Amino acid sequence: MKAIVAERLTKIYSGEKKALDNASFELSQGEVFGFLGPNGAGKTTAVKLLNGMISPSEGSCHVFGIDPSSSPEKVHAISGVVTEHAQMYGNLTGQENLVFYGTLFGIPKEESLKRALALLERLDLTVAKDKKLTTYSTGMRQRLSLARAMIHTPKILFLDEPTSGLDPESAQSVNNMIKELASDKGTTVFLCTHQLRYAQEVCSSYGLIDDGTLLAVGSLDALRCRIFSGLKVHIKSNRFPEGISFRKTEGQWAEINVQTEDEIPPIVKRIVDAGGNVYEVMANRLSLEEIYFSLIEKRKEQKEVR
Amino acid sequence: MNTMQSALIKKDLRGITANKQLLVAMISVPIVLTVVVPSIFIMLIHFMPNDFSDFDAMLRMLPIDIQLDNMNTAIISLLLNNIMPVFFIIIPIMAASIMAASSFVGEKEKRTLETLLYCPLSLKQIFRAKILSSFIMSELVSILSFTIMTLVTQIEIFLTTGSLLLPNISWLVVLLLLSPAVSLIAITLIVRGSARAQTMEESQQRSALLVLPVIFLVAGQFMGIILINIWILLGLGALLALIAWILMNGSFQKISYESMLR
Ligand SMILES: Nc1ncnc2c1ncn2[C@@H]1O[C@H](COP(=O)(O)OP(=O)(O)OP(=O)(O)O)[C@@H](O)[C@H]1O
Ligand SMILES: [Mg+2]
Repeated sequence: MKAIVAERLTKIYSGEKKALDNASFELSQGEVFGFLGPNGAGKTTAVKLLNGMISPSEGSCHVFGIDPSSSPEKVHAISGVVTEHAQMYGNLTGQENLVFYGTLFGIPKEESLKRALALLERLDLTVAKDKKLTTYSTGMRQRLSLARAMIHTPKILFLDEPTSGLDPESAQSVNNMIKELASDKGTTVFLCTHQLRYAQEVCSSYGLIDDGTLLAVGSLDALRCRIFSGLKVHIKSNRFPEGISFRKTEGQWAEINVQTEDEIPPIVKRIVDAGGNVYEVMANRLSLEEIYFSLIEKRKEQKEVR
Repeated sequence: MNTMQSALIKKDLRGITANKQLLVAMISVPIVLTVVVPSIFIMLIHFMPNDFSDFDAMLRMLPIDIQLDNMNTAIISLLLNNIMPVFFIIIPIMAASIMAASSFVGEKEKRTLETLLYCPLSLKQIFRAKILSSFIMSELVSILSFTIMTLVTQIEIFLTTGSLLLPNISWLVVLLLLSPAVSLIAITLIVRGSARAQTMEESQQRSALLVLPVIFLVAGQFMGIILINIWILLGLGALLALIAWILMNGSFQKISYESMLR
């Protein structure tokens, strides 16, 4: 069964503006889906629709076959949600908070406590477990929210910018945890984020959204195909022979696009044969960041034409 | 009620008892109304010279069927059985309002409501649990106030008059029908207002309006205009219970996540 199926999902809050416009996508179980887009693109709106917090204006969505707008509580039973608006109780300690949310999900108290302690350990909050939440820093709260979302071992996690307030080390460990959850437990993750580098490390597929419109969906390779699927080769040399279309960048660097790796050695050989010294060669495929920017750029151009 | 709902109710009740400020407000008002006020009254009657011409006229209008041999006892009975019950309409309104405001609007204000909505309880189940926790709190406060009031006033009455003057049957109607009904009305009004109210103070102020009709009732009692007998009480109680039921069902119909989070 598909983890998420969205069909022509549309949300109009009030008036004309579409926060989400005809978005269709599917997620398989165990996938980590990076939902990327600028501010106000409609990411949080999609999370709310998928959890039944708001109802679609048109279209429909299903989470593990359940329609969130008709039985949201059934979706909630199998999903864990982290958003910036979903806070916990300041007058309770970290541990008390987790145990409360555990029991709220129908887990017996002793079992809740056991899971809470394990999650606190995993998210590096053990030292702060008996401190009131009001004394937590932003990053600590965020990590506790993650623990809260996982207390009932959900089949699917909705994470709306879970690492935005975290230091690089914590962000790294949260990302590793997300990867582990997906690979070991088969948890599906719907991850909204602006941190494209982290997203590229964690996600198995992506959805790019701008201004309510889904621009592209698919794996990194699939997205690359829409821009340029080959390699960008950066070469540092004191001499570049004529006849090959190098683009000079800065200093002794130049770049050239190729389709496959096999094209690189002949190029280097040509430089050396022409009497050049090759100091460095780097070959990269388009990064998620580059793909993101060129897709958003393309969209802007299209809008201006219209 | 399933275990998840009772977890929510326990959390709400614990939340209010952990908050010193709210707890003090919730306890001090009932104590002033039900212990301090009647005590002062009883003492005044005991120590004042026997000049009750005003009370005399009022007492003659009262449908008190027991032959009261003593003027002091008559006045105390008037206080105990006709005036004090009104306080037991004010107290549950107050307790229910404080509790409902903190458990609905307070959660919204502190942004914990959204987290709560992501739990596997339906919105109606969450509502029921929250209404019930406010109701339990207001009943606890009322019954506790009644017990303390009865103990203290009976001791005082015994010490000043030499005999007891037990509460009459109308108390049963007040405690079992009237005060639960008004606390449910107060809770429902707060809950309905909570969609609009953004802060706890705001919604508490709204419910303070509820106390106005009660104040007229008190004034009426003192002036002898409205004489509440058991049948009027029963009728009033039934009417209020009906209103509470209608209001509550009405608010169940309208709720949605969207209206809660606005
Ligand atoms: N409750 C609401 N009422 C009216 N408009 C809303 C509401 N919530 C969001 N919007 C609008 O819908 C659009 C999409 O908002 P959304 O919160 O989904 O963006 P987002 O992708 O999560 O942005 P960000 O990266 O800033 O979190 C925005 O234009 C926003 O102004
Ligand atoms: Mg957002």
